[in-house]
Amino acid sequence: MLCYYDIQIVRRNLASYVDIIWIYCPALLLSFSLVLFKQTKLGPKSGPTEKGLSSFCVHIVSLLVRGLSSLSDVASGLKYLQGKRQNKPEMCCVHNVQVNRTGYVELTIFPTVVNLNRIKLNSKQCRIYRVRVNELEAPFIYNDPTLEVCHHESKQRNLNYFSSAYTAAVSAVDPDAGHGELVIKVPPELWKQGDDLKVLKVYIEFSLDQPKGGLHFVVPDVEGSMAERGAHVFSFGYQNSTRFWFPCVDSYSELCTWKLEFTVDASMVAVSCGDLVETIYTHDMRKKTYHYVLPIPTAAPNISLAVGPFEILVDPYMHEVTHFCLPQLLPLLKHSMSYLHEIFEFYEEILTCRYPYSCFKTVFVDEAYVQLSSYASMSIFSTNLLHSATIIDQTPLTRRCLAQALAQQFFDLKQADEWVLKGISGYIYGLYLKKTFGVNEYRHWIKEELDKIVEYELKMGGVLLHPTFTGGKEKDNPTPHLHFSIKHPHTLSWEYFKMFQCKAHLVMRLIENRISMEFMLQVFNKLLSLASTASSQKYQSHMWSQMLLSTHAFLKSISNVSGKDIGPLIKQWVDQSSVVKFFGSFAFNRKRNVLELEIRQDYTSSGTQKYVGPIKVTVQELDGSFNHTLQIEENSLKHDIPCHSKSRRNKKKKIPLMNGEEVDMDLSAMDADSPLLWIRIDPDMSILRKVEFEQADFMWQYQLRYERDVVAQEEAISALEKFPTPASRLALTDILEQEQCFYKVRMQACFCLAKIANSMVSTWQGPPAMKSLFTRMFCCKSCPNIVKTNNFISFQSYFLQKTMPVAMALLRDVHNLCPKDVLNFILDLIKYNDNRKNKFSDNYYRADLIEALTNSLTPAISISNEVRTVDNLNADVRLILEEITRFLNMEKLLPSFRNTITVRCLSAIRQLQRNGHIPSDASLFKSYAEYGHFVDVRVAALEALVDYTRVERSSAELQWLLNMVQNDPAHYVRHKILGMLSKNPPFTKTTDSALCNEALVDQLWKLMNSGTSHDWRLRCDAVNLYYTLFGLTRPSCLPLPELGLVLNLKEKKAVLNPTIKPELEVGPVVDTPASIGIHGGLKRKAETPLGSPPEPGQVLQQQDDDARGGHFKIRFNTMEDEDIDMETVHDSQAFIHQHLHLLERPSTPGKEPPSVEQSLLSMPATPVPSFSKETSSLASKHAGEHGHHHHHHHHEHKKKKKKHKHKHKHKHKHESKDKEKDRERDNSHAYSNSPASGRSLRSPSMSD
Amino acid sequence: IGDPSLLRSLNGNTVLISGKAATSPAENYHLARRRTLQVVVSALLTECGFESAEKAAVETLTEMMQSYITEIGRCAKAYCEHTARSVPTLADTVVTLIEMGFNADTLPVYAKRSQRMVITAPPVTNAPVTPKALSAGQKRTHPAYIPSHFPEFPDPHTYIKTPTFREPVSDYQVVREKAASQKRDVERALTRFMAKTGETQSLFKDDITAFPLIAAQPSSIPYLSALLPSELELQTLEETDSSEQDDQTDSENAAGNLINDDPGGDKENSMLPPSGVPSAKASEENVIDNPYLRPVKKPKVRRKK
Repeated sequence: MLCYYDIQIVRRNLASYVDIIWIYCPALLLSFSLVLFKQTKLGPKSGPTEKGLSSFCVHIVSLLVRGLSSLSDVASGLKYLQGKRQNKPEMCCVHNVQVNRTGYVELTIFPTVVNLNRIKLNSKQCRIYRVRVNELEAPFIYNDPTLEVCHHESKQRNLNYFSSAYTAAVSAVDPDAGHGELVIKVPPELWKQGDDLKVLKVYIEFSLDQPKGGLHFVVPDVEGSMAERGAHVFSFGYQNSTRFWFPCVDSYSELCTWKLEFTVDASMVAVSCGDLVETIYTHDMRKKTYHYVLPIPTAAPNISLAVGPFEILVDPYMHEVTHFCLPQLLPLLKHSMSYLHEIFEFYEEILTCRYPYSCFKTVFVDEAYVQLSSYASMSIFSTNLLHSATIIDQTPLTRRCLAQALAQQFFDLKQADEWVLKGISGYIYGLYLKKTFGVNEYRHWIKEELDKIVEYELKMGGVLLHPTFTGGKEKDNPTPHLHFSIKHPHTLSWEYFKMFQCKAHLVMRLIENRISMEFMLQVFNKLLSLASTASSQKYQSHMWSQMLLSTHAFLKSISNVSGKDIGPLIKQWVDQSSVVKFFGSFAFNRKRNVLELEIRQDYTSSGTQKYVGPIKVTVQELDGSFNHTLQIEENSLKHDIPCHSKSRRNKKKKIPLMNGEEVDMDLSAMDADSPLLWIRIDPDMSILRKVEFEQADFMWQYQLRYERDVVAQEEAISALEKFPTPASRLALTDILEQEQCFYKVRMQACFCLAKIANSMVSTWQGPPAMKSLFTRMFCCKSCPNIVKTNNFISFQSYFLQKTMPVAMALLRDVHNLCPKDVLNFILDLIKYNDNRKNKFSDNYYRADLIEALTNSLTPAISISNEVRTVDNLNADVRLILEEITRFLNMEKLLPSFRNTITVRCLSAIRQLQRNGHIPSDASLFKSYAEYGHFVDVRVAALEALVDYTRVERSSAELQWLLNMVQNDPAHYVRHKILGMLSKNPPFTKTTDSALCNEALVDQLWKLMNSGTSHDWRLRCDAVNLYYTLFGLTRPSCLPLPELGLVLNLKEKKAVLNPTIKPELEVGPVVDTPASIGIHGGLKRKAETPLGSPPEPGQVLQQQDDDARGGHFKIRFNTMEDEDIDMETVHDSQAFIHQHLHLLERPSTPGKEPPSVEQSLLSMPATPVPSFSKETSSLASKHAGEHGHHHHHHHHEHKKKKKKHKHKHKHKHKHESKDKEKDRERDNSHAYSNSPASGRSLRSPSMSD
Repeated sequence: IGDPSLLRSLNGNTVLISGKAATSPAENYHLARRRTLQVVVSALLTECGFESAEKAAVETLTEMMQSYITEIGRCAKAYCEHTARSVPTLADTVVTLIEMGFNADTLPVYAKRSQRMVITAPPVTNAPVTPKALSAGQKRTHPAYIPSHFPEFPDPHTYIKTPTFREPVSDYQVVREKAASQKRDVERALTRFMAKTGETQSLFKDDITAFPLIAAQPSSIPYLSALLPSELELQTLEETDSSEQDDQTDSENAAGNLINDDPGGDKENSMLPPSGVPSAKASEENVIDNPYLRPVKKPKVRRKK
């Protein structure tokens, strides 16, 4: 595929940055040139997806199967491109590299309907040179409404408005609804053919200029060739984002087979989906072409690419699995991948189904967008997952990531109803966890996930797994509580998306609870085998729809296999959002020997729903453990549970537990009258719920000590926080010491013990909590103040050793200070830490010791306004600071794995600053936050900066951060900054802050409106931040519209203009519809510093070679699919010039559209200086509700117009405008200066 | 060096030493001998008929005489030691004289010559007492099987190892303490040095030298240093489990041999240490059919046309 950077077009916009462009022009240097995609297209309605394709009715057959033709096409395509390129001297001399730098895509379409005269495809960022359908030049229209969501620069700064506009924009190009950014008009000669449902071949020649999304280039700035520098590129995206790097039908429900070709530098490896058929050198032997074939029908979003000087490792266990990593990391790759085959084996075994693809590739890249992303037969991981054998903490994390990626390989790629797939892959991943890490780990994980989803839903409102949209109208929004629409994945906030995945697999587990695991696996097996049979049916592409998995098909399969009706379950958790919130309490009726249990529900607050159905209650009595299934009904709160135990405990006998074990208990603590030891509600977590249950402290203590389920233990620990008594302390200490106990429970007990100790501070006896315990476990027998030399062979005790100091540091004495001996103890641990004899690295342990130091900090006692200096530094703090300084400095000389030490040091320094021990200063963090540091370090520094911004209310730092959001090369970091700002906002909608001002509102608005169009996730992050800061409605810091104060963003000033009427008459109203975003976006960049970066490479080109030339169809109203025929406004002179020009530069994108059209298209997104409230509200109403648009001729020379900002000059302005219009008409053959016209190769001077 | 006072004091010291030496008994003894020799030389000169002699000439002759006698003594002693005796006999002396080119037969005649002068015995001076050697430890007596005439054992310090350093402290606590503080000192010194010599960042504005932090330097490939274990870690790893390492190399070799006939043999392969890769890979390549390992094809000619 392509990727050359068109310097010319860039130069026009960023005249002064040409040098920088060279640097940021990695594709050019990587020089991979040509791609050929064969894409075939699936028809609509046949799939289980109910979304359907209304206007785009085509049918698919694999081109590959059709054999012969494909190969010859490759060759002819190549020749064609080369021939054309030679006519473009500028391009050659600018790049001084090979000529064929474009890519092309070829789709074979089998129409399923007659009258197929328009084909809509998805494409973003791509510069499209030409489109041919069956060898005939086809006119096309390109417009991307998501480039800029709201077009008029009105004073509307209302998030509700934005969200609906954004949803509308995304819907307007939604491939599942048959829309797309690129509309190709089938040449009339072929209409007949189309009516006969004959094959159409669509050929699109395109290139990418400086892609800001979709493909990410990592080019380290060091000496050497590209390969030596480890430069690489990979595709990325949030959900279906393939349209960012080549034109396609960017939908999960459109399957086709693929043939992919990538020509790359000889030192590079191109990894893509499917089987590598062959690798061939180009004629000059400097490059090679990778040929891939993917015979299994696959949707475009599951196609990916990674190119780099990768080191190749063939998996020693499975030779069809290949791993790729960046240079020098091969040893790490070997170690990290050494257990992948086990995961493979596990999945294949439980699913009794082979891995769906014939090969599998893992690629580890730097600056990854997400930790792992799965595509057809390959997964792209972050290189930071690789680790050596000495690292403990990273190992389980990496294994989990691999397991998750593989689980997704089996299911995630056949998307239809997202929750089913995310659910199944999450579910089988859970099974793997259970098998590999044990049941305790699994149950702990389930509880964690459950807590997460419960917390999120209670806070943010429900998460809906399977939304149904009836009319697509605002009122029918199933989730009105959210500030974004869940209709499209691209409008979802990242948090929500994660929670969605989390809930999906939890629901899957609920289904398993209902129908048993056996049936569950049978269902999966059935689905998979159906899919694989379907995919092997090469000639019957309608069968491919079987590969798509819908809720309906899934449920049907379940009822077939298990014979059970899980309808109510689905209705409760899938079709309905929210979780259940229970409150439980009980009383024991001694006379009746009955447990009177009361279970209430809260279903009124946000994020909750009412639950009706069975619930399991487990009662541990003296005589044993008993399960009861109660029925939760509408009105009954109380449930009577008869007790079994009549025996009193004077008989000394063992007490049987749930798992059959019999234990001795000291029963002296319990209530003499009741046989109840403890009660658990819904112990199996078979409801998505939060339970707040009241029972006596001794019951929690018994539960902690004797209940064997880790979930119960964890619940007991969190409940015991409320009972700071010596008995609780004893129970926790016992758990801490008990080796058989799950280590994560013990870790949690540490923190609970610290809390209890703090509550009991006045009555606490003995040494500080956990100190003697730690001494006994980890210190030398002879000298208890010295820790043993490290030996991390036993991971359980390793984790405990790491955690205890962290928890101990949270202890406080009566003065609310960390006790002196605890601090000294931690300092001693640091001092005597000795890792020389250890076979594992101690970097995480040392990092935790630094965290312990951080935890020990308490706010400095200071006289107000006292300047913090070295001299008045507290003695303890001085010691801490010295350790931190030494650690941080040592890290420069001997960096630790993932720079864990630096990360913790930075947060420690921020903590010192926040507590007023050292002067608050952001410069240190800024230097660590810069590009070029390890990503974990950057994130830690940025987190400190975000905190600094909040505490100090510093607008400079906020600007700095926002600047980084716009300019940082690493997408993950940009996303992270916005995420952290939302989590720890400098101010919120409810608080007043000096930071909250118009400029910030404008800046953020611009960011989400047009600045983040290359990354869906980032845009949603920006929306989230905006919501956090300003809420749903118009930000309060903006001047009230009633005052008639109008913002002119272009000139960054507000004009008080009460008499705006004349303006309305003369001034061009700029209520541009979403359809012409390109122009607005680009113009703004050129003119306002606040503007978003340009979206280069957006090409709008019209070519009509046939006799009817000049017939332009432009879609203006994307929401109502209305076409405006521009035939009449054609200018013959311009037409001639077009043809002349076409002869000169046949493949140059910039063909001049006629002037009238030009003026239409270049309608600026900026309003005239003053703007009435009425106008804007009217305009917005039009845009938002009626989709009706005003079109005004508005010429594009904004700069000139800028001068005329006073209304008395309007007349003059109008005149000059007319003049220019005339001139324009005269020169209509010349290029317009709209950057979006794609006329990049002309000299820049023409545009000025 | 140029300090005059130092010189002066040095000189003073020498003076003092020489003065002391002149008065020592050993010196007196030698001076007396010398004087006797001088008398002998003078007598011989007189015998030969000289009336007078310059002092320098007498002194020279005395010197020659002394050298000659000393040489006879040295040689005679050598001869006697050569024959494993400790006291020279007459024969030794005679051989010596002959060796020195002196006709020994003429000696009795010369001794009995008539005109020889009788010289008075030299004044009796006490032979210098050799200072007692510092006895270190108890001298060992001869074991029973060694005759008593054999020389005594020398002082024990000449053949027994005498510790000249203090017993090292083996107390665990102290050792740990020492190791810890040593490590800390080294680290602190090193980091301070680095901080002093390079760019720094500071936490305090009033005192930039307090708690200097080595400035953060962005690197162009940050993940390498963050992910790869440092050389130090690798080194310690090798030290700690070199035995395991050996096992691994063994299994690797075994695996390499097995790979052709037993697919299960690859199992160990994943454990390969990085060092063993090339050979294993070479052998694997023959077996593994992976598209990425295949050679890149040459372009087809027909495409050129």
